[in-house]
Amino acid sequence: MATTTATLTLSSADLTGDALSLSTTATLTKAGTATGLDQTTGVGRKTTTATSDVTLFAAADYTDDKGHKVYIKNTSTVATEYVLVKIGDMELGRLYAGDWAFFPWNADADSTPDADVIYAPSVSTALTVEYALIFEA
Amino acid sequence: MATVRASLSLNSADVLTSALALTTVANLNCDSGSLIRAKVKGTVADTDDLVVYKADDKNERAYLYIKNLEPELENYIYVRNETESNTALVAKIGGGEFAFIPLAPDKTYEAIATKVDSLIEFGVFGNDNSSVSLA
Repeated sequence: MATTTATLTLSSADLTGDALSLSTTATLTKAGTATGLDQTTGVGRKTTTATSDVTLFAAADYTDDKGHKVYIKNTSTVATEYVLVKIGDMELGRLYAGDWAFFPWNADADSTPDADVIYAPSVSTALTVEYALIFEA
Repeated sequence: MATVRASLSLNSADVLTSALALTTVANLNCDSGSLIRAKVKGTVADTDDLVVYKADDKNERAYLYIKNLEPELENYIYVRNETESNTALVAKIGGGEFAFIPLAPDKTYEAIATKVDSLIEFGVFGNDNSSVSLA
């Protein structure tokens, strides 16, 4: 059994008069158990030069309805460049330059279309996304 | 304009032979947002759902932080894109787990739970659209 932790910190000194300072940690476990997720793609990077959809993780390649966790980051430094992240054909939202997301993913292959993790770059110049999937069989 | 600093660290000594130690930071330009702690009453779509984000409340970009504060892993929170459909599942979050997700600002997002009155903490950060009221 592996132990992987994810720590999120949100802070702001100027959003409101009450400084925002939040830190939370979760141990990444298999669905419904205290057993740690034990498989990962590792941290990788993918560079594209087109605005067409890119399937980052195909639901059919992973077990349905498990406790998989996705990390994805737009490494661009050009503020206007974004990637549109989608689950199947449902838009999740845009990650602008330097933005990241971390979320559980159920790899649902029974939906139409499959709940693949997809992104579409906003530009056809080189744009690099960093990613990792921590998953279970 | 304010800045919200969002940092994520992923760490493991044993999920790979080489230790996983990733830290990333994003400085989000935002002018509005807050943290809320609330109970989710609904357990089926469209019945007592908790709205975590109302469509068009933010302009251009919005970021959702949401944590399931339930102690039992099996007590899930389901975040749905209500604008898309009742089955448009964005994330299924187990007890003690969290997510940080970009939102489509023109969609409404709602939460339901496995258990009535599940406690969650959430916040949406972005640039306010003054034409939309949460009331």
